Amino acid sequence: MSFLQLTNINKKFGSTAAVDNFNLAVEQGEFISFLGPSGCGKTTTLRMIAGFEYPTSGSITLQGNDLTFTPPNKRNIGMVFQSYALFPNMTVAQNIGYGLKIARKSKEAIEARIEELLTLIHMENMGARYPYQLSGGQQQRVALARALAIQPQVLLLDEPLSALDAKIRVELRHEIRRIQQQLDITTIYVTHDQEEALSLSDRIVVMNQGGMEQVGTPDQIYNFPETEFVARFVGQINLLPVEVVNPRDGVIKIGDHLLRAGRFGKLNGKPVRLAIRPEELHPGYLEGSNNLSGKVGSITYLGSIIRIRVDVDGNPVSLDVFNERKFKPPSVGETYQVNFPVEASWLI
Amino acid sequence: MDKSLNSKRVTGWALFWTIAALLYFFVPIYGTLDFSLRMKRGEISLMAYQIVFSDPRFLESFRYSALMGVITIIVSVLIFVPTVYWIYLKLPHIRPVVEIITIMPFIVPVIVYVFGLIRTFGKPPFQLTMTPFKTDILMLAGYIVISMPYMYRAIDVGMRSIDVRSLTEAAQSLGSNWLQVLFNVIFPNLRIAILSGALICFATVMGELILGDFLVRPALGPYMASIGKTKAYEPAALSIISYVLTWISLGFIQFFSHGGDTQQQITGR
Repeated sequence: MSFLQLTNINKKFGSTAAVDNFNLAVEQGEFISFLGPSGCGKTTTLRMIAGFEYPTSGSITLQGNDLTFTPPNKRNIGMVFQSYALFPNMTVAQNIGYGLKIARKSKEAIEARIEELLTLIHMENMGARYPYQLSGGQQQRVALARALAIQPQVLLLDEPLSALDAKIRVELRHEIRRIQQQLDITTIYVTHDQEEALSLSDRIVVMNQGGMEQVGTPDQIYNFPETEFVARFVGQINLLPVEVVNPRDGVIKIGDHLLRAGRFGKLNGKPVRLAIRPEELHPGYLEGSNNLSGKVGSITYLGSIIRIRVDVDGNPVSLDVFNERKFKPPSVGETYQVNFPVEASWLI
Repeated sequence: MDKSLNSKRVTGWALFWTIAALLYFFVPIYGTLDFSLRMKRGEISLMAYQIVFSDPRFLESFRYSALMGVITIIVSVLIFVPTVYWIYLKLPHIRPVVEIITIMPFIVPVIVYVFGLIRTFGKPPFQLTMTPFKTDILMLAGYIVISMPYMYRAIDVGMRSIDVRSLTEAAQSLGSNWLQVLFNVIFPNLRIAILSGALICFATVMGELILGDFLVRPALGPYMASIGKTKAYEPAALSIISYVLTWISLGFIQFFSHGGDTQQQITGR
């Protein structure tokens, strides 16, 4: 039996299905991310685990105990909110110790736990401050410490970094992961930021319109997307309409270019497209690889990456190259050749 | 150049209107004060004040109104804070209806309300006018209704300034039940709003005349009205004393309601 099990979870608001047939088994100590666009149902699912919403149907069990309709204050599940939700009338120490005070722990036990957590979040001398005296990053650390203070069985985080600037986000997400691994606490993290999900998670659940698109490790999600939505949502993707020449061997044609797809499954005459990540495309012609040529449409500088868009028989193809000094980018309008390994592409 | 001229004009007008407002407010008070000190012909004296203070009915009526004011505040807070909280959390769609109900005291004159109270509670089966204690309960209910628009609005504004839902859910995730959420999180964060409602509520009770007059209770309003019918200098002295005592009472309320070092608070919204 899994540590946390969500079985056939459905949630309707009126006639709208916010979550549709959600099934997930989470093992102890796992870090799972729910990833998807706004409105896909990831926060609703998280709130059902927390107990702030009840499912229309389905069940949630934790260590074999049915939690489906248990009130939130009886679940021993810690939560970190997007808005931090620190209690403005309490100091940092009081915020962290609040759950322990409610649980009627002794004063000494509360103080010891507060000290321990302040050290964990590197805010040892800030116990007497109020939330309004802290930066956004500090507030989020306190919110995390407060959720961990009660030693919850599961830790839930609802887009905890979305209100912070990019640099703090990167620092804090490493911090969150470090603490999670140190405490070995089962964690579910909701985000719309694929970089966060890919860098933090043991597994990712990609959601769309209330349903699960795919569950897998970051490698599986990124390199082996099972649906077009996952391919498009996670990372950049080129999707080129193709003509199937040999369905058994995955031989396809784009204009005058004869290519082979790395993964193709059963092709039964339906329109298909060739999927290839921009970083898998390389400048120039390479024997033994798939090769395309076209006119350069645009060149975009993204810092460490240069994105070159090439129009291949009317289809835009983007390739990403590192912005190395030795690399000489082409000119717009120039005829340009690109190549990619057969195994890096697949048919959708 | 133009901007500095404009700012001088703005400052001049602001100063003019400030002085005008201060004069409008303080000149009548000064006039009343001056009149109250002229009981002895030809000299300044405190005789009117001595007469007022020596009247046992004055202290009795002030004590009564002040006590009713405090009890009205406490009961109003205990009724309205949970009500507004629940509306925000679970029933936001009925807010417009509740807002209309809370402005009814502005629309229905107090005299009509008092007659309704007397008609309903002046005879069995709900007779509450036969003993002072039961009549005080009626008075209290009356004061709560009269001050309802102010107290409700003050709390409503306070609720808007805090993220009620997130704070509630955070407290629940840490093991709090509803009562604990209310008293540990919601009430403390509404202190400023409750204080502002309490101040207006207290002032309303202290100055209220009709309820006390028709229910025949020793409130300050009816006492001042009765003194005004038969005396000249004593009502002026009484007005000044009432002003001072009411402001001192408000100061006490503010002092005891003011929390430690919380100062400006944000919720991280």
